[in-house]
Amino acid sequence: MLVLTRKPGEGILIGDDITVKVIELKGGGARIGIEAPRTKKIYRQELYERIRQENIDAADWDFTDLDNVSKSLAQKDKVK
Amino acid sequence: MKKITTRFGEVEYDPEKTILFPEGFVGLEHLKSFIVMPNEKNQPLFWLQNINDPDFAFVVTDPTNFFPDYRIAIGPEECKLLQITEDDDIYILSIVTITPDKKITLNLTAPLFFSPKTNRGLQTVLENSPYDVRTPLPEN
Repeated sequence: MLVLTRKPGEGILIGDDITVKVIELKGGGARIGIEAPRTKKIYRQELYERIRQENIDAADWDFTDLDNVSKSLAQKDKVK
Repeated sequence: MKKITTRFGEVEYDPEKTILFPEGFVGLEHLKSFIVMPNEKNQPLFWLQNINDPDFAFVVTDPTNFFPDYRIAIGPEECKLLQITEDDDIYILSIVTITPDKKITLNLTAPLFFSPKTNRGLQTVLENSPYDVRTPLPEN
């Protein structure tokens, strides 16, 4: 990993179309400003990781599970 | 017709009818081509079987069946990827997770857009969403 020291107001360029700037340091956190083309997706890393993991977990099911889910949904309908 | 061997056995499909997710899924960019497998037992649930990696299949449902107020807007970049305009019909789907303790949850943070017109889909991420990645079904 490349590690750089930047002060508030200073930035870095990634390639020629992404700018990352430190806006301010406050309460142990850093506010970061990012300029990038709209086609670039920007995620908070922990959210990205969580969704990636959930996608993997969601793919882990079998027909018994699907049957049980279908049954329990059918029961919910009956209650309504 | 083509054939793939999935975790659920051999599946025959028409390559013309595959759904393209041009960006794949979040963190799983290789998952681009899917076929829709109907679940005859209960209509609100069906599953998307991936073709690139037959181990991957997602159970999906229309979240408004369970959360009638769930609304998300589509943006211009997303329309571009789906090759539609903002006036075209769009379906919103949620991935269903069956947790290890057999509870059903919906991923309302990262829903899917699907365009029936272009047969394209994508997974979007709602930043600062009030909804959870594992939202349990509401109690009746």
